[in-house]
Amino acid sequence: MRKKSIIQLLILAVGIGAAAFVISFIGIPWLPKVGSEQGERIDTVYVLASVISLVIFAIVAAASLYAIFKFRAKPDDEEDGKPTHGHTGLEVVWTLIPTLLVTGIAVWSGVVVVKNDRLPADHMVVEVTAAQFAWSFTYPDLNITTGELVLPVDEPVELQLRSNDVIHSFWVPEWRQKQDAVPGILTTYRITPNREGTFAVICTELCGLGHAVMRSQTRVLPQAEYDQWVAEQQAAVDGGGDNLGKAAFVNNGCGSCHVLADANGTGTTGPNLDEALVGQTPDAVRESIVAPSAVVTEGYPDNVMPKTYDTLSQDELDALVDYLVKTTSG
Amino acid sequence: MASIAHGEVKPGKRPADLHAPPIHYSSRVHPPLLGMYLFLGSEAMLFGSFFAAYFFARVAVDHPEGWPPFRPGTEEQFHLPVYLALINTIILVTSSFTAHWATTAIKKDQRSGVIGGLLLTFFLGLAFLLVQAREYSHIGFSPRDEAFGSTFYALTGLHGVHVLMGLSLLLMTLVRAIRGHYSAKNHLGLELPIIYWHFVDVMWIIVYVTVYVL
Amino acid sequence: MATHVLDGHGHHHEGHDDHHGPPPPWLQRGPLRRGGWLKALWTTPLSFGLATAFICGLRALTNWDPVWDLEVLLVGWTVVVPFGFLYGLGAFDYWLYFVTGRKTLPEDHSGHGADSWKDYFRVNTDHKVIGVQYAVTTFFFFLVAGLLALFLRAELAEPGSQFVDSNTFNGFTSSHATIMIFLFIVPVFAGMGNYVIPLMIGAADMAYPKLNALSFWLLPIAGLMMLASFIVPGGAFNAGWTNYPPLAEHVQVGNLLFQMGVQWAGASSILTALNFIVTIITMRAPGMTFWRMPLLVWANFTTSMLVVLATPFIAGSQFLLTFDRVLHTNFFVPEGGGYVVGYQHIFWFYSHPAVYIMLLPGFGIISEVLAVFARKPVFGYRLMALSLVGILILGFSVWAHHMFVAGMAPWLRIPMMVTTLLIAVPTGIKIFSWLATIWDGRIHMRAPMYWALGFISMFVIGGLSGIFLGSVPIDQHASDTYFVVAHIHYVLFGGSVFTIFAGAYYWFPKMTGRMYNERLAKLHFWLTFVAFNVTFFVQHYIGLDGMPRRVADYDPVYADWNLVSSLGSFVLGAAQLIFIYNVIVSWRSGAKAPANPWRAMTIEWQLPSPPPKYNFDEVPRVVGGPYEYGIPGARHVILEGGSELSTTPEPARVGAH
Repeated sequence: MRKKSIIQLLILAVGIGAAAFVISFIGIPWLPKVGSEQGERIDTVYVLASVISLVIFAIVAAASLYAIFKFRAKPDDEEDGKPTHGHTGLEVVWTLIPTLLVTGIAVWSGVVVVKNDRLPADHMVVEVTAAQFAWSFTYPDLNITTGELVLPVDEPVELQLRSNDVIHSFWVPEWRQKQDAVPGILTTYRITPNREGTFAVICTELCGLGHAVMRSQTRVLPQAEYDQWVAEQQAAVDGGGDNLGKAAFVNNGCGSCHVLADANGTGTTGPNLDEALVGQTPDAVRESIVAPSAVVTEGYPDNVMPKTYDTLSQDELDALVDYLVKTTSG
Repeated sequence: MASIAHGEVKPGKRPADLHAPPIHYSSRVHPPLLGMYLFLGSEAMLFGSFFAAYFFARVAVDHPEGWPPFRPGTEEQFHLPVYLALINTIILVTSSFTAHWATTAIKKDQRSGVIGGLLLTFFLGLAFLLVQAREYSHIGFSPRDEAFGSTFYALTGLHGVHVLMGLSLLLMTLVRAIRGHYSAKNHLGLELPIIYWHFVDVMWIIVYVTVYVL
Repeated sequence: MATHVLDGHGHHHEGHDDHHGPPPPWLQRGPLRRGGWLKALWTTPLSFGLATAFICGLRALTNWDPVWDLEVLLVGWTVVVPFGFLYGLGAFDYWLYFVTGRKTLPEDHSGHGADSWKDYFRVNTDHKVIGVQYAVTTFFFFLVAGLLALFLRAELAEPGSQFVDSNTFNGFTSSHATIMIFLFIVPVFAGMGNYVIPLMIGAADMAYPKLNALSFWLLPIAGLMMLASFIVPGGAFNAGWTNYPPLAEHVQVGNLLFQMGVQWAGASSILTALNFIVTIITMRAPGMTFWRMPLLVWANFTTSMLVVLATPFIAGSQFLLTFDRVLHTNFFVPEGGGYVVGYQHIFWFYSHPAVYIMLLPGFGIISEVLAVFARKPVFGYRLMALSLVGILILGFSVWAHHMFVAGMAPWLRIPMMVTTLLIAVPTGIKIFSWLATIWDGRIHMRAPMYWALGFISMFVIGGLSGIFLGSVPIDQHASDTYFVVAHIHYVLFGGSVFTIFAGAYYWFPKMTGRMYNERLAKLHFWLTFVAFNVTFFVQHYIGLDGMPRRVADYDPVYADWNLVSSLGSFVLGAAQLIFIYNVIVSWRSGAKAPANPWRAMTIEWQLPSPPPKYNFDEVPRVVGGPYEYGIPGARHVILEGGSELSTTPEPARVGAH
């Protein structure tokens, strides 16, 4: 190969590489803004792999484009190319260099995995239960169960995931991690959220007809606001009497799919109860809980609401119906 | 269709349309033998997937009471008839020897040895299946009883199906042997089912050791 | 057992006489009793009736309620009816004759070759006919599965629910993937291999022609089973092509048709692979050493090893799933002590090697095409062959990278990550060697070359996104998102499908005897190339940003990019019609193809287009490498060898009859 063609090839490669670099790192925000310590480490692997990939893609694209234009035969050209059968040196080079590069990625990834698996001994624990098609979060030390995950910022936490029926997967894109919730197995998810805000919790493992709408949210709050939230939740549960119904609503995670202002329900998977229940008889409300397919609100798919609420105790069910009718009758 | 199928010569055909060329063998391994060994490799992998399910049920799931686990709702472990199965193992191992006897006999053109060996192998295999059926009916749990029951029936059942296939092959070979289709020079059709039979035997030893002994 | 090979031994024809003797007994029967469609017309419903009567009768006799259980019946039908159909078609005629203890007949070639279009619709033992049968069938399923993809892209063009409910949508995604994988990509390579491998190694046919015919006919059966799931109560199987339990054990009865369809398709590919291996090992022409084999043959050899050893695992996984559903066993039922993740291990132990099953034959095609159209030897031929073997071995040790977030044993993650990343090395060797092959060549930009070069760039993108997914930390973010969807399509569409089109255009003149329309072929390429990138490149972004896969509805922030992707997919779908039009019109009335339009050196191009019924007059003699372009006087094969060829070695053993 002559010097001139090497220079041409290099210019082409650098051009393609630069263009790919601009697209990759400047034009498009490929990843949502990171929100956890673990995610920041994961992003370093992402950047390393991106840079290596861009260089390799630029080399391959430049070499093939260059070859297509430079070595193209004329239509009536019956000549053959140069009969080169191989070149041991080159073959060693393109075996060794990729080996080194992928080993580099592997080692760095391994370091990140080990670091992300570590958690200080005095971390918080939240039990996450997945069921078709809702998430519920239990704080064992605080005796709280909710349909949204609320965490204090900068506090390491271990989520213990369980599933009641099929496989689900817990994913918060800003935290850069996901973990399947598998029936019969306890899986864990370790995270230290370091950015305040409200993020989506998404199920990423196909779990049935309501898979697309199996979403919840997580709110990362400053410590003071978190403490206040805990106090409110405990008050709602401990109220007794009239609040037995409200406690049933909160404890069963109804708020992760339904809006109900009185109990802080914010989910949009199912109908907004503040509107849908206005004027409904107690019997109709009861039927919608224990046999959700009997009447399906227009605009919402059937078979998404779990059919397992007929196992609630009679007292709990009575209280829940009573509470729902009262709170929505204005 | 048949008229074209058996080769009426039509005018204007190119020579190579008219006949098959001679066969050139590029390996000293006989094609049917190679095919049989590859098939057995594939079969072994099928057993492998069932063994994988067995090990997952045994190792990946926690059994504080050990293995075999407790029957559901009791404090009593599942029980397997290890010694009955040992008798079955002896039956099947013996049948491999009788099958081998048939193979050596045909190489010396001893027809009685061939038929005797095949007959013995066939009846030993049948005895194995009958003992297995008796074991199933007396064992006291079903495939629905825990993953233990499921994996037990899966492994022994998959093997049982192979014994049944082996028996059918042996029967076919026996008929052909009685009709005198095999000779010292010409006995691959006898050897292949017997190779299959040895495979079934070896798989049983692995199943027995894993499921009953370990 | 006793087949064409054995019977053909010593069957030297000196003259051009053609005495095949009388037709075999099973062809001397009346039309209703002779194997064929007429017979299948009554044996198929008969087997259906017998299976139904047996199952319902048994249940009625044992007071088993209910007597009519669709789950059990579906299993019964899908096991029995295919046998009834194949028996009617005559696929078992020879073997039935054989196993009932009759004396072996000498091969009469009664099922070999095609003289009219009707011969393509019967059990035919000619590898060339079977190759065409495979190609046409698999491209039919390509269109079907492509149409399913367009339906689901139409639903995804806007957030919310427009055309279909999530049950139908999940049915579309699951059957799109399943049909593309098991009825297009895996078998279309088997079809191409069937056509060209015996020609390339200088053999008259495959080692087991009757088995070969059977493997083909298993395929439409599997395909019809999967399509039939759209008409059973509850709709098509919808638990994804991975069919993970417990979901797969809870969804509607159509799921059984996935499980059984996969069994038949798997049996088909195991039997074909076994046939390929035996053919390649035992039936090469004299002089065709392993180091003189075309890389396509090498590629199919390694692929077939993967198929024979890995496919039983998906069979096992679906057997156990069916037992769980129908017999209520507890393999994957946690309440009964089963282990849910165990299914995923068993499934991926096949399904990861399956990715290489879908790629390696394509690698072989690319090596052929690049060498011919760049007029140069393949660079580093031996390392190219060895890298295939490297992928074969490493391919068995990477399965759990699909399960980094699945809840498997955590210690398994890092070893699996290392092997996964290392498999990039042999793949990289291939990419760089291909680039070195076209370097300094005389490149002729014909349609197969467009697809080959397009393949290199697209496959590199798919390979590089594979490195992202192979790294545990990135996979924790990206797995189960649209990033994975983009990755798999860059690998299987930009990778496999591009190689399939390269091969289809490359061998079209040989298979049909006609030239395709070059301008339409290039239009097909450019439309596909651009529309493919529009459809799938954006999915990298929406996946990383937060859109999970397999959803009928999604966050409206991704509406714009999904619309772009859907529009791209419609153009992509329409572009394939150009291919179909080109194939049909060219096959009927294209220009007659010369024997060797590409001036290629491999053996199939030294024969007429299409090759004669028995391929060769005499056994060809191989005298050099397959890619010696540019070397004056170099030859790969001598076809008119003369009589010094009679040094044919005897096989070690003599066939038994």
